[in-house]
Amino acid sequence: MPSECAVRGPDAVTVPGWLVADEPNLPAYEPNGQRRRRGFLEATADQSAQVLRQVVVADETAARRGLLQRLDPRGAAVAMVAVLVVLALVHHVVVLLAAWALVLGLALASHVPLRQTSRAWVLVPVFAAFVAAPATLSVVRAGDVVVTLWTWHGTGHGLTSQGLTAAALLVTRAGCSVSVVLTITATTSWNRLFAALGSLGVPRVFCMVLSMAHRYLVLVTGVVADMVTSRQVRTVAGVRHDRTGRAVLGASVGALVGKSHLMADEVHQAMVARGYRGHTRTLQTFRFGLADLVAVLVLVATLGGLLVWDGALG
Amino acid sequence: MHVPDGYVSPQTCVIALAATVPFWVVATRKVSDVVKTKDVPLLAMFSALVFLIMMFNIPLPGGTSAHAVGAVVVAVVLGPWSAVIAVSVALVLQALVFGDGGVLAFGVNALNLAVIMPFVGFGVYRLVAGGSPLDSRRRLVAAGVAGYVGITVAGLSTAVFLGVQPALHHSADGTPLYSPYTLAQTIPAMAVPHLTFAGAAEAVLTAAVLAYLVRAAPGRLAGTHPLPTGAASRAASRPRVRPVTVAAGFVVAMVALCPLGLLAPGGAFAEEAPADLDLASHGLQAVPVGMDRFAGFWSHTLIDDYGFGEGQSPVLGYWVSALLGVAVVGVVVYLLARAVQAVTARGRAVSDAV
Repeated sequence: MPSECAVRGPDAVTVPGWLVADEPNLPAYEPNGQRRRRGFLEATADQSAQVLRQVVVADETAARRGLLQRLDPRGAAVAMVAVLVVLALVHHVVVLLAAWALVLGLALASHVPLRQTSRAWVLVPVFAAFVAAPATLSVVRAGDVVVTLWTWHGTGHGLTSQGLTAAALLVTRAGCSVSVVLTITATTSWNRLFAALGSLGVPRVFCMVLSMAHRYLVLVTGVVADMVTSRQVRTVAGVRHDRTGRAVLGASVGALVGKSHLMADEVHQAMVARGYRGHTRTLQTFRFGLADLVAVLVLVATLGGLLVWDGALG
Repeated sequence: MHVPDGYVSPQTCVIALAATVPFWVVATRKVSDVVKTKDVPLLAMFSALVFLIMMFNIPLPGGTSAHAVGAVVVAVVLGPWSAVIAVSVALVLQALVFGDGGVLAFGVNALNLAVIMPFVGFGVYRLVAGGSPLDSRRRLVAAGVAGYVGITVAGLSTAVFLGVQPALHHSADGTPLYSPYTLAQTIPAMAVPHLTFAGAAEAVLTAAVLAYLVRAAPGRLAGTHPLPTGAASRAASRPRVRPVTVAAGFVVAMVALCPLGLLAPGGAFAEEAPADLDLASHGLQAVPVGMDRFAGFWSHTLIDDYGFGEGQSPVLGYWVSALLGVAVVGVVVYLLARAVQAVTARGRAVSDAV
C-alpha cells in the first residue's frame, strides 16, 4: 500500500471529544454515600486510559493534513535525531528558547493538539525544574552567589549564577527535546515511522517487533482496563492497601503474563498459517519528493544557524 | 529512572549506545535460535506487557504506591536475553508515545534497564534460588531479592551516568552543561529511593508474579525453569557456575563499584609514604622504625607509581596499570574459583560413594 494512503483529509478522522477527555477513574461509593479512598486500582485504571487516549490522539493527528505530515517519514526520523543532537550541543539558553519557539510553531502549523498532549510538553520541563532547583543553591553546588538568601559564619549563601544557568539549560533543553519528539511522532503515523526505521538500517525484525508491540499495546491495555474494572465492580469493601492488595496485583500481572503468552501463541500460529517463515517484508514504499528536499535544506540551514549563533562550532 | 534527553551529553549517549549494541546483536541471535519464528509475536507481546507493567501502581507498606519496571519478571519468565529485547522495545515505545525517557538518551536507558537490570536480576535469582524446587519458598524469596537488587543496581548505574556529567562537561566558569550534580550527590539521591520504595515495588512485583505463575501456570516458566516441581527436583543436579563466570562477574562488579571510591573523603588507608605521614594526627613524634626500614623494601615493581619508568605518557601508563590490575584480579579470582570447585567436587564424590 502506498504511504500516501495514510494521509487523509482533515475531516476524515474525527475523534469525539468525550473519548479523549481526561476523566479521572473515580472510586465507587461506600454504603454511607461517601466515595471510597482512591487506591492503586483507580490509579492503574487512569494510567491505562491515558495510554489509550494518547494512542488515539496520535493516530488522529498523524492523519491530519498539516505541514510535517507531508514529509517522508525517513526524513522525519533522521531530522528528529539531528535536531536532538544539535539541541544537546547548544550551550546557550537563548538559542534553546529560540529553537523551542520554532518547534512549537511547527507543531501548531501541523495541527498538533497541544492541549491533549500537554501532559508531556509541560510535565518534562516542570520535572526538570524540580530536579535542577537544588543545584541553584551555593550549598549544593559552589559558584558565584548572585542572590544572597542567608549568611552562615559571615559567608553569604544563596542562588549562584552557575546554578541558575545550569538549571535554565536543563529545563529548556529537556523541554525542547521532548517537544521535538512528540511533534514528530504526533505527525507521523506509527506504521510509517516504524517502516521508515527499517529502511534506515534498523533490523527489520526489530521494527516488526516494535510495530506489533505498538498494536498489542492497545490490546493489552484493554485487557488491563477490563481486569481492573472487573475487580473494582466485584469488590464490595474496596481492595485494601496491604498484603491483600499486593496479592491482587501479583495475580493481575501474573494473569496478564499468562494471557500474553496465550495471545502470542495464537498470533504465532496465525502468522505461520499465513505463510510466515521468519522473514519480514514491508509494503510501505517511500518517495523522497521536492517538499522533502526543501525541508532538508531548511532544516540544515536552521540547525547550522543555531550552532553558529551558539558558537558551538568554535 | 528513565533519563530524558538533555540530562546527559551526546558523547555519553554514544558510548552507552555502543555498549548496548553487542547485547542487542547477541540477544537477537540467541532468541531466534531458541524460539525460531515464534520470537516476533512473543517478544512483541512481552514488550507491550513490560510497557504496561511500568504502569501498574504497586501498593507498598505505609500506604504509598510505586511503579516497577518489570525487567526482572521478564528475565525470570523468558530469560535475560529475551528481556533485553522486550524491555528495549518498551523503552522505544515509552520515549516515542509519551516522551518518557529520551530518544538520544535511549542507549543510556537501554543499558541500565534492558541490559544491566535483567542480567543482574536473573543472576541474583539463579544464585539465591540455587537448585530449589519451583514451588519452594526459597524461589519466591530469590525472585524478590532479584527484583530488589536488579532495580537498585540499575538505579546506581543511572546515578553514575548522571554524576559524571559535571566533571566531563562544564563551561569555563564551572557551569555544568548537562546534569548539574556530582557523583557524591547522584548516588545517594538514587540509592535512597531505590533501596526503599522502588526496590520494594520491584521485589513485590517479581515475587508476586512468580508466585501466581507457579500456582496457576507453571508451564509458562518451562523455558527458564527446566527442573520438575516437587521433591524430585531436590535430587536433580546442582547448578554449576563456571569459574570464568565467577571471575568475570567479580571483575565487572568491582569495575562498576569503582566510582564509589570517588565519594570517599581523604586518601586511601595506609597508602602514604613515611615522608607523607601526618605524624601529629596519629600522636607520633617520628616515623616508626620498622615502617621506615621496610617502606622501600620492595622496589622492583613492574609499573612503579602507576606509570612508566621515565614518567612518559602518564595517562597511558595509568590505563595500562588499571587494565593490568583488573586482569590480575580476574585471574586470581578464576584460580580461586577453580580451586573451590575442585574441592567441592571431590567432597561430593566422596559423599556419593558413601
